[in-house]
Amino acid sequence: MPPRIGSSTSSSLRAAARGLSTKTSPALTTPFVPVVSTLNTRPQTLSTQSPRTYATASSIGSLKLPDDYVPPTQPPSARRPEKRKSQLLRTYTSLLRSTPVILFFQHNNLTTQEWIAVRRELTVKMREIPQGPNDLVNYSDFVNISVLTTRLFLHALKVTEFYDPVAAKNKGERWTHDLSKAALEAVTEAKIEEESTYAQLQPLLVGPMAALTIPAVSPVHLAAALSILSPSPAFPAPRRKKRMAYHDPDVQAGLAKLMLVGGRVEGKVMDTDGVKWVGNIEGGVDSLRAQLVHVLQSAGMGLTNALETPGKSLWLSMESHRSVLEEAAGGGKKAEGEGEEKKV
Amino acid sequence: MITKYMTEIAVKFNPFSPRARSARLFLSYLPPTVRADGTAISTTLLPRTSTEPASLLVKFKDGKEMNLNCEEIGIKGLIEEVDRHSRALHKQANLNE
Repeated sequence: MPPRIGSSTSSSLRAAARGLSTKTSPALTTPFVPVVSTLNTRPQTLSTQSPRTYATASSIGSLKLPDDYVPPTQPPSARRPEKRKSQLLRTYTSLLRSTPVILFFQHNNLTTQEWIAVRRELTVKMREIPQGPNDLVNYSDFVNISVLTTRLFLHALKVTEFYDPVAAKNKGERWTHDLSKAALEAVTEAKIEEESTYAQLQPLLVGPMAALTIPAVSPVHLAAALSILSPSPAFPAPRRKKRMAYHDPDVQAGLAKLMLVGGRVEGKVMDTDGVKWVGNIEGGVDSLRAQLVHVLQSAGMGLTNALETPGKSLWLSMESHRSVLEEAAGGGKKAEGEGEEKKV
Repeated sequence: MITKYMTEIAVKFNPFSPRARSARLFLSYLPPTVRADGTAISTTLLPRTSTEPASLLVKFKDGKEMNLNCEEIGIKGLIEEVDRHSRALHKQANLNE
């Protein structure tokens, strides 16, 4: 059994006991050290100092139990950390916050062999994609498909959408992490609107679900993953000649049971067609940006042209008019000058 | 669920509809070997905007076709409906042996 009260806790208790002994009864001058040594596991025994009152954590202000106190009736969990619900929830919230592309698959009773085969094919295909010139890392290493605990995932989705840790901190909450009471309250009190990602994804995440996660909006990776996991005419599966192992019975049986139902791309919920549309973008986000810049530039050019033309034409007509006037005026001057000369 | 006497299963649903739940769960109730055992399974996903109801078509070895409306029947109801006929076929097969 691990120690339930750490050294810092016992020292705080000792300090509190010291405060108590000086405050309540100066006559009680017995050394408090043995008392504290018996206190190690049960802080309630402090009440021995005044038998009629029961010292609880709330009754003595200075004797507040620390936040990391583990009650003896609820010992630390012995489950594997990665299988604990709390850890899973943290994994999911961090996944939802950091991963822009998540595709959701329904998996209908794939056997372990089939999962292994499908994952192998996905990895092999991903390794074929070279690192892009603007990529910080090779995203291929981080594309994977994993089975979700659907209810927990939905809760994590709620936490990421309806809970703001900064706001909770400003309210004076001590713990503002995703497992905190503040997060739970925010989630339970949240008013779920139809446009929210949670409300859109909730009917989708029913039954056995798996998620394919891609750490960046990279249509190349998305297209490659789609060609393996959910081949269609737009994303053809590798030919038998090119990749024999893809046509193994294990892989094919596994893929028959995997069904793409939708996805979430940059916070937007998409159906299968939407996901395929994203996979079809050639050149990725950079090419989209270039297209946008081009559109904006050409629009700007058109606008400046349109604004310029009347001014230009006005200037031209005025200029021609001026030249005509000048000619006329020049001619007059000449004539006048001649006249003057004649006068002189 | 007894899938031994099914020859064909066709499911059609819109995954974004909350009422497609039973159709989707029906697929997850099929055992892993059902395709290898000779049952043809086809799944059609409707687009997100579609309002077509979720449907399930099951064909049995004796030629019976069951067209079930998944919008109104829950997953337990679906399995019950399908199993009722499967059990009859099972009994028949046992008597013929």
